Amino acid sequence: MIGSYDFCGHYEFTFEWLDAEGGIDMVRAYWLEAISLDSQRHARDLIVAEGIEGMKKYWTHTLDEEAAGYAFTSDNNRFRIDMHECPSKGFLIRNGLKQYPDYCDHCIGWIGPVMRDAGFVIDHDHDHCGKCWWEFRKMDDPSKPSNIGEFAGERDVRCSPEWNHGQIDSFQRAVDDTDKRPG
Amino acid sequence: MISDRQPAAGTSSALPYTDAKPVGAADFYFAINTTFRFIEQKLGRDGLLRYWKDLGTRYFAPVTKSWVDGGLDAVAAYWRAFFDAEPDADVAVEHGPDRVTLTVRQCPAIYHLRRGGRDIVPDFCEHCYWVSDAIGKPAGLTVRIAGGNGSCRQDFLKAGTAPEQNLNLINRCS
Repeated sequence: MIGSYDFCGHYEFTFEWLDAEGGIDMVRAYWLEAISLDSQRHARDLIVAEGIEGMKKYWTHTLDEEAAGYAFTSDNNRFRIDMHECPSKGFLIRNGLKQYPDYCDHCIGWIGPVMRDAGFVIDHDHDHCGKCWWEFRKMDDPSKPSNIGEFAGERDVRCSPEWNHGQIDSFQRAVDDTDKRPG
Repeated sequence: MISDRQPAAGTSSALPYTDAKPVGAADFYFAINTTFRFIEQKLGRDGLLRYWKDLGTRYFAPVTKSWVDGGLDAVAAYWRAFFDAEPDADVAVEHGPDRVTLTVRQCPAIYHLRRGGRDIVPDFCEHCYWVSDAIGKPAGLTVRIAGGNGSCRQDFLKAGTAPEQNLNLINRCS
């Protein structure tokens, strides 16, 4: 049997396996069809129906279950996640697993289409070392992402002395992984 | 707020990959199930069998090594540690003179997929045979499975000491 305990390990193996079978298009189809539309339909249903309130409910449940170190910040127009210790990337780092070039892309690969269908866009940076931040705002809100510490205060992961230790990839008003600006 | 949850102690070293949390997140069974569905839809049954065998020979290569080194003792230790880390598993692991037998009274994956109202891939339970057989082959071991769809019996024994696996003995999921 393959299990849930080391899921992140065989999940990453699956990206590499699908890439070898059908290239990046196969991997993107997997994130969309198998994860965003099928596995994570409970997240999709909540976020599409309830917007920012749905985001709070979904991520409170899932990040507690995964034992993550994170902070949420929100107002009526924005929802922000500062991920200080990503449980998923952390598992790979601790176990020396690196089979796929950028594991971190899977998150926006499935979250992006959910946000697009819910009417939100994404600003996001990840450092490949288990730290990242996300800001979700409505598509018709033209405002830019917050400056360091402006919205989340000291909980902003960019205030961490360890931020910038890794290679930071950026996404601006994105709804999928194709909008990446590599670090 | 920042979660105040502290990392738990690592689990048994019988597992090749260890985490800070003691038990896996049950929602991940949803993705395991949909991964099987996606691969079967895109690449057919042959593709799905290839994926399961590749998982066994490549991703689980450290498990193979421990079974090569430790034989059935290592098989029993692995499955005890494995099911200790799966949420709501109810499994007995018995080490007999010629085999290790898993009596799965409650499969954690099927339990959580049903609880979540998910459509389970009909051949879901077959992955246990194909993955475990691929893990065991270099160690001279194989597995024979009967049952499925929530509970089953799995016997790990020396290759060549049992008839071929009859796939009809592995129940389809519903």
